[in-house]
Amino acid sequence: MSLNYLVKRLAWSAAVLVGVTVFSYVVIVLSPGDPAVKWAGNPRGPGAAKAIEEARKELGLDLPLHLQVLNFLKMVFTGNLGYSIAYRQPVFAVLVRNLTATLELLFAAYLIGVPLGSLLGVAASLQRGRSVDGFLQTLGLALASAPSFWLGMAIFGALFSAGFPAYGRVSTGLALMTGFQAITGFYLLDSLLQLNIPLFIDALARLLPPALAVAAYPTGLCLRLSRALVADALLEEYVRAAVAWGVKRRIVVWKYAFRAALPGLVQVAGTAFAYSLIDAMVVEYVFGREGLGRLLFDAIAFSDFKLATGLLVLVAAFYLVVNTLADIAQAVIDPRVKL
Amino acid sequence: MNASRARFNSAVGFLDLARRAWKRSARLRVGAFLVGVVVFMAVLGPHVAPHPSDGWGVVPRNAAERAGKPPCPEFPFGTDNLGRDVLSRVLVGARLALVQITLVVSVSLALGLLVGVCAAYYKGPVEALLNYVAEVFLALPALVVALALRLALGQGLHIVVASLILSWWPWYARSSYIYARAVVEMEYVLLARLAGVPARTVLFRHVLANVAPPVLVQAITDLGSVLLEASAINFLGIGLPPDAPDWGVIVQNGFRYIVSMPWVSMFPGAFILITALGFSLVGDSLREELDPKMRRRWKLWF
Amino acid sequence: MVLAVEAKRLSVGYEELEELLWAVRGVSFEVREGEAFCIVGESGSGKSTVASAIAGILPPHAVTEGELRVGGRLVVKGNERDYEGVRGHLVTYVPQSPGASLNPYLEIGDQFYYVLNNLYGLSRKEAREKARTYLEMAGLDPGAVLDRYPHELSGGMLQRAAIALALSTGAKILVADEPTSSLDAHLRLQIVQLLKRLRSEVGLTLIFITHDMLLAGVLSERIAVMYAGHLVEVGPTKEVLRKPLHPYTSMLIECVPVLGVKRPLKAYAGEPPNLSEAGRGCPFYDRCPFRLEACASEIPPVKEVGESYYVACWLY
Repeated sequence: MSLNYLVKRLAWSAAVLVGVTVFSYVVIVLSPGDPAVKWAGNPRGPGAAKAIEEARKELGLDLPLHLQVLNFLKMVFTGNLGYSIAYRQPVFAVLVRNLTATLELLFAAYLIGVPLGSLLGVAASLQRGRSVDGFLQTLGLALASAPSFWLGMAIFGALFSAGFPAYGRVSTGLALMTGFQAITGFYLLDSLLQLNIPLFIDALARLLPPALAVAAYPTGLCLRLSRALVADALLEEYVRAAVAWGVKRRIVVWKYAFRAALPGLVQVAGTAFAYSLIDAMVVEYVFGREGLGRLLFDAIAFSDFKLATGLLVLVAAFYLVVNTLADIAQAVIDPRVKL
Repeated sequence: MNASRARFNSAVGFLDLARRAWKRSARLRVGAFLVGVVVFMAVLGPHVAPHPSDGWGVVPRNAAERAGKPPCPEFPFGTDNLGRDVLSRVLVGARLALVQITLVVSVSLALGLLVGVCAAYYKGPVEALLNYVAEVFLALPALVVALALRLALGQGLHIVVASLILSWWPWYARSSYIYARAVVEMEYVLLARLAGVPARTVLFRHVLANVAPPVLVQAITDLGSVLLEASAINFLGIGLPPDAPDWGVIVQNGFRYIVSMPWVSMFPGAFILITALGFSLVGDSLREELDPKMRRRWKLWF
Repeated sequence: MVLAVEAKRLSVGYEELEELLWAVRGVSFEVREGEAFCIVGESGSGKSTVASAIAGILPPHAVTEGELRVGGRLVVKGNERDYEGVRGHLVTYVPQSPGASLNPYLEIGDQFYYVLNNLYGLSRKEAREKARTYLEMAGLDPGAVLDRYPHELSGGMLQRAAIALALSTGAKILVADEPTSSLDAHLRLQIVQLLKRLRSEVGLTLIFITHDMLLAGVLSERIAVMYAGHLVEVGPTKEVLRKPLHPYTSMLIECVPVLGVKRPLKAYAGEPPNLSEAGRGCPFYDRCPFRLEACASEIPPVKEVGESYYVACWLY
């Protein structure tokens, strides 16, 4: 993969992020009402006027139009969106802290869903058109059509009535007792690093149920995709040739057919990973976990426009980065593609 | 020339496609049935519902004694914490569900087709600009856009619909751009231009007609996906207000009572699943029909 | 006399959606061990399907009738097919399009490994050594090929690599589907010489499919002519080419330009019938210059007209 490609990709992504930022600026400024009031979070009471004045300065509303936009762009790209109204902390600090929580959930979900779905898809493609295949196909569609928040609620409710409240990321009592410290923000990793096994188990037990809810979509997606790709690959000339030369079935299915499906699977799974961030956020809300999902809620409660803008840019950046990584991964796996 | 025209189905060909698929695929029939049920609910729901006012969100007068009943003959889906009949709420909710998704998909489709086809046809700087704009909107997550719009404009149906349209149209723009690029190069389009047929006519008649079918099939599947996203937005309370007759909102209402009154959330959620599944089944089998190779059946022969 | 391949009224059809299309109709022939046997015909004659049937790679939606024996083993009986222990062990296959028959995701060396390991349990090192031998036999430099991916090699190199892979199975029956059609002239000669050498050195039974009559003449001892799924003439190559009995065979020969021979080229009108059109008489009826009354209503039976020489035509 050439440096040229990487540079072009990054430049393009930056340009798109600029567009996203401009969009959010447009929303603030063009919607009915005073942008400064909105930016200040609809303050009331004694400090209101001052807050609004500060907001006016931050947004640069007294500047000519093009400078306003540039000013806003500078704010976003230097990570200086000001203090979140909901948390009274720098917006980007809040975002980053919660991003790791959501990422942990997302990784867990995809680590479960992608292999599971892919394997089921291979099984379906080997018996194409038979009842097993029809069942698996419909299962795949059903999994991909299930609302993740509903699945999450079902799982949460079931576990709760069975006596296990799968709430939050860790039991706060246990965390205090064992002196748990967050280092990377990935609690599974952190607890292992501190050799804190009870907390690891606790965090894992609270991670799996929401992960299952989020994993439904990638499972269904990969099931259908791998079924289609592997079935196509099985009809290819090189598979016929390998069969003719006496290569064993297991090798033909995995090293010839499935191997052909891998680049497509990786690319699609990678892209889906980006879009599943939203799913993870909603499921977090259901399970009361800290993470970007909670930010959504608090942003509304506090009319926190800064947080909303930060979220918008962050998620967009996440999409762009993950899509780029997925394309790169696909190129690495497929020796024919040269970037 | 006729061969190339035959390869792409026209609008009439699309109906042929649907007819063939109906005969061949059980999944299409099941999907169509599910969609049919939901459409029926949407059209007749409010009239068929046993307690229509409950359905629209009004709290009944004898709420206290009705609240929180599990499913029983009088209330087949049970009642929620405010005593409203869940079956009626689900029936009425179908209408709003279909309204939201049809609005979103039709506007996004129209906008996306227009932009994609224009980008392919006019080429040059127009193409680059349109592609850039599409990419920017592609990167926008509907849920967060909904959040921003909510803060700017307040609650309501327009939040859900607008945020979804803004994030969905670029998908159609991109696929129609790809298809249109291939079509634009074809002989009969070039000949039409040379013959002096005005750009607009060439654009609409030839290019759009040929690009539409595969994109239309995608749109059918998207009806289901849009419902999932819209429900999520309403579930979080970003879109519609808490008493709105919307499935996502009803699930939200039942959230706090998931252990004591699970039926409040489970039934509307199940209907979201059924609707999305129905559209996916239809879209999936139509897409399979477009690609003949996919229809073989076998057991591994080696 | 041991038969390498024996077909008895073999028919092969393909299930396409609602229809069943027969590509091969009631074909019977024998190939002796160590013989060079060639099947010729136009596209759609069913020759590739026969090759696939012998090599054991009929697609899953294929339907069969009749019997087929390969290396003495019954592989096709009615609609039952069993190639267990036959593929790679008794029969090997050289595919038509070299570019498409090698796994694009594996290096050539790895592909040799999977074949040799599956057949003989060789380790990676042993497989690599064996691969060298075969690549050199096919006229390739192993160092330039073993660690490469297929898309990095030229068409000619790919075809030779595919041949090397096919040979490395050590099977005694080689089925080659249009082995030279995708090659340049000088490569074509090389491959022909290679195949000839292998036959004399190793005692390979060579069955190859082609539409190139010249190649058939040079390389084969017996030739079978197929038209629209039927076997119309099969016999010793020299005799068939010198004095073809079936009108279709004459037509094929007359269409071939031969260097150094001044002869007006005849172009024959018409095309072979569609797979789905199963007429009642001889399939060649529409294009045949010697039509008899019987030809329109009944398929001519196969008659023996000489030493292992058969024709299916009402003329005889």
